[in-house]
Amino acid sequence: MKLAYKNNSFNVALIVLAIIIVFFLSVPILKMFVGVGSDKLIDTIKDGEVISSILLTMKVSLWAMLFVIFTGLPLAYLIARYDFFGKSFLEAIIDIPIMIPHTAAGIALLSTFGDTGLGGFFKVFGIEFVGTEYGIMIAMMFLSAPFLINAAKDGFRKVDPKLEKVARTLGANPFRVFFAISIPNARKDIVNGALMMWSRGLGEFGAVIILVYHPMTTPVLIFDRFSSYGLSYSAPVAAVIIGFSAMVFLIIRFIANRFD
Amino acid sequence: MSYLSIKNLSNRVAGFSLEDICLDIEKGEYFVLLGQSGSGKTRLLEAIAGLDPSSGHIYYKEDEISKKDPEHRDIGFVYQDFALFPNLNVEENITFSGRYREIEDAQDHFEDIVDFLELKDLLKRSISALSGGEKQRIAIARALYSKPKILLLDEPLSAIDPTFRNAIMKKLKEIHRRYDLTTIHVTHNFREASYLADKIAIIMEGKIVQIGAPNDVLNHPQSIEIAKFLGFKNIFPTSLIGDNSHFKYFSVDPNVIRIVKEVNDYCDFAFEGFVEECMGITDHFKLFVNVDENHFFIKIPKREYENCLSDSKQSITIGFDEKDVSYI
Repeated sequence: MKLAYKNNSFNVALIVLAIIIVFFLSVPILKMFVGVGSDKLIDTIKDGEVISSILLTMKVSLWAMLFVIFTGLPLAYLIARYDFFGKSFLEAIIDIPIMIPHTAAGIALLSTFGDTGLGGFFKVFGIEFVGTEYGIMIAMMFLSAPFLINAAKDGFRKVDPKLEKVARTLGANPFRVFFAISIPNARKDIVNGALMMWSRGLGEFGAVIILVYHPMTTPVLIFDRFSSYGLSYSAPVAAVIIGFSAMVFLIIRFIANRFD
Repeated sequence: MSYLSIKNLSNRVAGFSLEDICLDIEKGEYFVLLGQSGSGKTRLLEAIAGLDPSSGHIYYKEDEISKKDPEHRDIGFVYQDFALFPNLNVEENITFSGRYREIEDAQDHFEDIVDFLELKDLLKRSISALSGGEKQRIAIARALYSKPKILLLDEPLSAIDPTFRNAIMKKLKEIHRRYDLTTIHVTHNFREASYLADKIAIIMEGKIVQIGAPNDVLNHPQSIEIAKFLGFKNIFPTSLIGDNSHFKYFSVDPNVIRIVKEVNDYCDFAFEGFVEECMGITDHFKLFVNVDENHFFIKIPKREYENCLSDSKQSITIGFDEKDVSYI
């Protein structure tokens, strides 16, 4: 490692402080795997309830991510490309879910989509949000969409508008320009944002538990086992979801980098 | 009606406006739009291409193209920084328009462009691995492949190494003839304009201020502002040379002003003044002479004078002939 300055005391201070934060970030994760033991991990992987909960969590978080790709990318593009009245206000609205407590977000969602007029409206189409996968999806989406929308917004801002203008002169209409030029040239930020949103969705607990206790997502299952049976029953589940998420995360990152 | 006719084109964005632009461009013409940075040149090109919303009318022959979207105007555009698509390789960039338009004899046309612009070895390369000159050729090839009715070039030489500029100017002229194009070329460089143009328009602060044949525009500016932009030096009121015509100003080239021994018949006009400054540059002296608070700038070859007239306030007589005077 080459350090920018040769001042020893400065470098030592940097390294010591960095080690402290790395300790707090990494040791609990490592402890989860080391402390649990391989027997318990294998038993947990064989546990049908755990596996179906992990698959449910990953699947619903994926649906939430795809929904935001479909609706959030146009919003990110609008904000990145155009100046309009209320743009700052709109950007603030997108960021609000990052700032509010997740349980408060759950209450807000329940008050909006629970036993209300709006909830009744969606029921007409067979969509219910309390105690269903739709509820999990909307809770995950509400709290993690800003990660994807903000990343896509930054990605679109990096695409030179002249590329889009030239594409228009070459015969592409605005829709084709969006798909052939804007999205492909912002894809790195979009993929990063999507991964961030998906992984953030996996960990959503506060809002999900208020809307949907059953079917159980993995964070709810971990809480359920912790409160009913204690640490030794909940830790292996936590270790397995961390392992699964890390694996999927690395695979997607690898594929995305291959296409760069 | 002209091949391309622009009538009362105006637009106003972010405090800058194009005002009532009227231009007529004939088929096969190489039209150069000359103006300083910020004069509205690129804005005008984008308005013609339909990329910048504007009022007014643009006709291609009889057809009003100003009502059409950019993708239906058949106008090729080459930006100053080339705007190649980074997500596509060279070949995909060139043939991009083929995805959306029917290109007649596409394969032959593609091969002809690739051969003429010497792009064969670059076709599978990524855009990030190209030099400025290569990028420019690809941007031109991409525009040519779409078989445009009109080609718009936005400062195509400004991002090119100066040593290659002359060769590229020659190539641009060849491209224009070979592909039977009507070209509008935007630049701030009047030497480039003088070499390439069949017709020149000068744009200043969003208005066309002079238009005509290159020789007329470049040698006979219609206003003092245009003269200054075109690099005219020694601009003074015509009263100084006793001219009573309708011209208000005249200009004289620093290279043709001579130092004479006295006010005599060797020059049509001669003035006594004093030297304000003399600077020795590689092969000439730059001399600044004050004639009744009119500050003349003169270039004298070093071979004609051994020593700089460096004494401040030294009296001097300068002169020039009527034939060297440009009236403004």
